[in-house]
This record gives sequence, structure tokens and C-alpha cells, in this order.
Amino acid sequence: MIPLQLDLLTTHYNYYAVVLLLGIGLYMLVESANLVKKVIGMNVFQTGIFLFFITLAYRTGGNPPVITDGGGPYVSPLPHVLILTAIVVGVSLTAVALALIVRIYAEYGTLDEDTLEQLYYD
Amino acid sequence: MTLTALEGALLLFVVGCALGAALLRDTLASVMSFAAYSLGVSIIWLILQAPDVGLTEAAVGAGIMTILLLVALANTVTPDADRLLEPVNVRTVLLVGTFVLVMAATVPALPAIGDPSSPVVGGEVTQYYLDNAYEQTDVKNAVTAVLAAYRGFDTLGEAVVVFAAGVAALTVLRREVFA
Repeated sequence: MIPLQLDLLTTHYNYYAVVLLLGIGLYMLVESANLVKKVIGMNVFQTGIFLFFITLAYRTGGNPPVITDGGGPYVSPLPHVLILTAIVVGVSLTAVALALIVRIYAEYGTLDEDTLEQLYYD
Repeated sequence: MTLTALEGALLLFVVGCALGAALLRDTLASVMSFAAYSLGVSIIWLILQAPDVGLTEAAVGAGIMTILLLVALANTVTPDADRLLEPVNVRTVLLVGTFVLVMAATVPALPAIGDPSSPVVGGEVTQYYLDNAYEQTDVKNAVTAVLAAYRGFDTLGEAVVVFAAGVAALTVLRREVFA
């Protein structure tokens, strides 16, 4: 019942990295008092999910999905497309979050979560 | 595919950089750690035979994202550098550790990395794209074909999101921009 077994580590290593990255991202989202670091944590969490998708698309001995005569086998192109879209959407999200953070700082003069909470209740 | 030394070293580097970004107290150091993390991730994309994703990650993830974060830092404050690392909160570590263990328990149910018969690689959809992309779209790169032709509406939606984000950021920053 111990989820980490050594033989799995050599065949499923990327998935364990995904799990660790999701954990680190979640920790930053919950625990970082600084708002900028929360945004970084959100990005780490996202990249963990990207790693999951791209790993699923991989095929042993596969080539990049650029079609040439006798060039196969290829890795799956579909997850790559989904993640390309997700990367761009992630950057848009980060841009809006950082704009809000700059505005919060201009208004309250701090980016510390606890200080902001105090200011809100005062 | 079994674990190679290069892949193992890259994964360690990436997880280490993520830990650095999480634990370093100075926000600037955290941003730098995250930039190194993005660069490591883009090399992992290359190893996983996803050059398009690798290029985008290097340009957008490591490039534009770092610039955005640095601009945000330049317009705000960094916390006092009274110590190198943030203190670790044991309660949060327990909570996140439980989450990690539950997720890790699902890993053995996934197909091995690179398994040709896995549902994604061996599935009908992948095979259709690989067989027909060049004939139907005249584009040799199947990723481009799917992005711009088969899933064109998806990409249009993405453009709408970018536009909306630009409008939202300018609206939020209105006082700073036009003051």
C-alpha cells in the first residue's frame, strides 16, 4: 500500500515529479504570505499538469509529430496542442493577477496577506 | 522508456528549483528560481519529443513570464531580507503531504511512460491526426495542423482569452497608465 515502489519509479518517474510539483504549487498557494509568490505557486501547479499531459503523449522511440515519409512512429500531437493553448492562457492569467497585485500595492502599500487582512477588517 | 541519468538530473533540477521558489524569502530570488525552473521544464519537453511546446515554454514561460514578474516586482516591494528561507509551516506540509500521497497512490494505475498501447498514443484520435493531417491540411507539422485547422475554434477562444486579459490588465492599471 506504500504508493512509491522502486520498479514503478523507473517506469513512472515523470508522474511522481508531477505529483511533487502539484504539492509544491499547492504549498505556495496556501502558505506564501506574499502575493507574488502565490502567483508563482499557481504557475508551478500549472506546469505540473502540463508535465502530466506531455508525458502521456510520449511514445518510446517516437519522433516529433512532423510528418515525413517513413518517419514514424510519432508521439501524439493532440496533448501538445492542448498544452500550447494552456501555456498561453496561463500567461494571460498571470498578467491579470500581477496587474491586480500592482493595483493592490498602489492602494494599500503592502503585498503581505496578513497585513492586507488586518487592513480589511480595520 | 526507462529513467536515464539526464532525465533524472533534469527532474531533480526542476523539483529543486520549484522548492527554491517556494522557500526563498526574497521575492526576486524566488522569481529567478522560477525562471530556471521554466528553462529546465522546456528541456524536458524536448526530451519528450515536444519541440513546439518546448519553444513556447522557453519563450513564453521562461521569457515573458519572468519579465512580467520582474515588472510587477519593480512596481511593488520585496519583503525584508531578514532571513534566507521562509519558515516551514508543519500543518500546511501535513495537508499538502496528504494530497501528494493520495495523488501518488493513483500513479501505479497509469500506463508506463512511452507505452505504445496507452490510450493516448495508441488511440483512434491520435492515429487519425497522424494519418490525415498532411493530406487534409497540407501542413507537415501535425501539431500546427491540429492547432490551426482541426481545433481552430479552440485557438480562436485562446485569442479571445488573451484579448480579454489585455483589456482586464489595462482596466485594472488605468490609474497608473494614464495618470
